[in-house]
Amino acid sequence: MKYDSSMDFPGGLPDAPLAMPKQVLERQRTPLFTALRAVFAAARPRA
Amino acid sequence: MPHGTQLTRSVALGAAALLSFGGGWLYLSFIGADGVSALDLLRTALFALSGFWLVWGGVAGVLGVLVPPKRTIPAPGRPEGMTAILMPIYNEDAAASFSRIAAMNRSLVGLGIAERFHFAILSDTNSMEVAAEEVIRFEQLLHEPMAAGRMFYRRRERNTGKKAGNIEDFVSRSGGAYDYALILDADSLMDGATIAEMARRMDEDERLGLLQSVPQVINARSLFGRLMQFSSAYLSPHFACGTARMQGEEGPYWGHNAMVRVKAFAASCGLPVLSGKPPAGGHILSHDYVEAALLSRAGWKVEVDPYLGGSFEEGPENLIEYAKRDRRWCQGNLQHRRLLGAPGLKFWSRFTFVQGIMAYAASPLWLALLATSILDEALRSRYWWRSNETGIWVLAVAVAVTLLLPKLLILVRSTIGGRNKRFGGILRAPLSVICEIVISTLLAPIMLCFQSKAVTEILLGLDGGWPATNRSEGRVGLALAFAASWWVTVAGAMVTAVALAFAPGLVPWLLPVALPAIGAPLLIAATSLGISSRRKPILFRTPSETAPAAVIVEQQQIYLSWTQQGSTLPESATPGVTPVPA
Repeated sequence: MKYDSSMDFPGGLPDAPLAMPKQVLERQRTPLFTALRAVFAAARPRA
Repeated sequence: MPHGTQLTRSVALGAAALLSFGGGWLYLSFIGADGVSALDLLRTALFALSGFWLVWGGVAGVLGVLVPPKRTIPAPGRPEGMTAILMPIYNEDAAASFSRIAAMNRSLVGLGIAERFHFAILSDTNSMEVAAEEVIRFEQLLHEPMAAGRMFYRRRERNTGKKAGNIEDFVSRSGGAYDYALILDADSLMDGATIAEMARRMDEDERLGLLQSVPQVINARSLFGRLMQFSSAYLSPHFACGTARMQGEEGPYWGHNAMVRVKAFAASCGLPVLSGKPPAGGHILSHDYVEAALLSRAGWKVEVDPYLGGSFEEGPENLIEYAKRDRRWCQGNLQHRRLLGAPGLKFWSRFTFVQGIMAYAASPLWLALLATSILDEALRSRYWWRSNETGIWVLAVAVAVTLLLPKLLILVRSTIGGRNKRFGGILRAPLSVICEIVISTLLAPIMLCFQSKAVTEILLGLDGGWPATNRSEGRVGLALAFAASWWVTVAGAMVTAVALAFAPGLVPWLLPVALPAIGAPLLIAATSLGISSRRKPILFRTPSETAPAAVIVEQQQIYLSWTQQGSTLPESATPGVTPVPA
């Protein structure tokens, strides 16, 4: 038997999608400077 | 968690901690007899830490022999759910892989349950020559019984996510059509009855997310390969029993020869790409451990059953191929340090990650212990071991017992239980165990060097990539062995020379490690030699040789008939043995 690019196969894989959501594995780390800035920004009285 | 599992874990962890702490205390009392220095403390810490993982490995073996888990009685009836049998392949020997599918299919057809099982070959092959061969072999597969509408083949142009991405691609496109998926490797072979039993277990237990079988190595031809094959058939089932006992419902997933519940897998195991570049970031390489942890996190049971049987794989035929595979696993396991703090994981899953990391990190720790011992001896110009000769012998014997006890217990149990008959008889089986201990002891220092190099490379940020596995070629010439391991020889010679010059008292203790390292090329070449196919080997006989399962015989016949048909295939692009880059 010799390979021929026109070879065709009956029936492909079933078309039955199933969602595979990405899992959370890494904790979101906020750099210390950014965290401090956010704290000060929140504490600053608003005009 | 069942109470029994909790108790077993506590006993095992307690025993390992107690013995390693006790060993460390003894060690410190010997080396610090004339005053404890900072170096002594460092050496003791290294000894206790490395010792813990040594004892931990032994505990699994002892548990497996003394308190094996209960056997699950095979479920009656026919499997009800639909199962997709998935074989991801990547530049493999297509005739071999596809003939395994054919043999598994015939086994299922023979049981009259084939209509509940479909096969999907998921190719990530990027060699056009191998891809062409895959197409031809698939044509042959379509002539197998009941193949119509049950056999599928697809090839991805881009290998996004490697094997895990390949499976994910299938699940996200076609997963909804199946209840379960049996995930295989290209060298996996499973008996139809085992596949059916796994599907029935899934039918029966709706909380079971993953069921892992314990595959045995088959078809090994070289001395190294047959050593691994014997070890996997004679010793591994007992170690797996011990592991199963400790892991309970938070068991392992080894990436193949395992059945998953597709909906559980889809909902829980979508792997993210880790931030940063490989080797620490990027796609998760050792995805199986992570997927098991994610299934447990989602509340699914993940179990291993060492009694299932009928589950086979092939292994590396020489130490170079073994080291190449180990390099890939090492990179994957060390990547898990990024996941230790992943939210919601169970304690045991995190511990499993640490265990996987330490399986490789222990090697550089042992080397560091060696180096600091030489340094201490050289700095102090004293031979502490002479003044504590009895004490150090006690420690040496304790380490030897830790290493050997599980294997000897397995030997005793197998002798009493009549299991040795299947391994060559009451004389050959014990002789095989002794030779396994001797050869694996000789090869251990070489593996120690390869693993230490791998860990160093990864910590330096060098990515090992995704080399295809060569499962066929075994023989390694001396030149090739030297090209791959000259640096091990040099390292062994240098350590000996430094010890002779600065710490001659340590030389006798170093020789068991240094001599095999110096002779690494010879050992690699010698253990890669094959056995004559005409004679029955004396050592390392296994049931897969003495009384092979029907599916093994069937696969060999199919493979022979396919490859003897004189196909006009292009030259096989199966990669040859390539040395691990120095």
